[in-house]
Amino acid sequence: MRISAVIALLLSVSALHAGFLSSEEPNVKCVYSGTDGNCVEPILNAENQLVITVVGQGVAPSVTASPAQAYALAKRAAMADGYRQIAEKVKGVQVEGQDTIKNLMLVQSSTRTSVEALVRGANVTNTTFKEGLCEVEMEIALSYSRVLR
Amino acid sequence: MRSRNGNRSILFAGIALISTLCTGADHYYIGYRLTTQNAQAVHETFSVSKAMQPCPASELSTLSLRRFPDESLKAVLEREKDTFIEYTLPDATRIKSTARFLDSDAKTQETLTLPTQCYAVEFNDDSVTISVLK
Repeated sequence: MRISAVIALLLSVSALHAGFLSSEEPNVKCVYSGTDGNCVEPILNAENQLVITVVGQGVAPSVTASPAQAYALAKRAAMADGYRQIAEKVKGVQVEGQDTIKNLMLVQSSTRTSVEALVRGANVTNTTFKEGLCEVEMEIALSYSRVLR
Repeated sequence: MRSRNGNRSILFAGIALISTLCTGADHYYIGYRLTTQNAQAVHETFSVSKAMQPCPASELSTLSLRRFPDESLKAVLEREKDTFIEYTLPDATRIKSTARFLDSDAKTQETLTLPTQCYAVEFNDDSVTISVLK
């Protein structure tokens, strides 16, 4: 009886040690970056501004008059994608789903997402174009003064 | 007896008219819309219209674009589209996006709109100076 109690105690202590007292930090991907470049919590407060960075992607049309036109159109599509991502992160996405089930079997599944927003102060920080794919890195700085403007 | 707001609007209109006459700039309303489908630009339009009345606002930032002789503002904007878009996009841009996923098929559409606003446009021999008014 005493031996089983001691074993149970030892097991619980080791479990606590592994679960709560472990020194290994979880691997968290930094989505939001502060003004000094360090990873910060995605919380907007009165002291700090929140910088949101996104990478928009756009594809050049298969038929274009020149490589320059392909680049310009791909970049414009990438910027629209970047603005969409900023709007999704700041404002959120509306999601609607519909499943059709017949005779206990799923026959059709559809999902629709939408977002609509007015974005002020977003800037393009970097542009790359490779093999018809244009990637535009964009950022927007959110602060109390801008939000309350 | 005019209201205080009424007097103010007349004052602003007067200032805008005087500044227009002094600088020789015309006022234009310019808007832009881009539609993309599945990450490809499929349609874009510029809307350019000369203002019937001077815009009661002051100039903010200025952009200078190259202009060939007798070239219209719309033609200049079509040619220098990238420069003008990068100049105006950070100010205010409306984005509307929808995505539909039906079984394994996906369709996305984004509409990027520059809200139509007033610009002071000054035509020179070989350039056009565009200033956003606010």
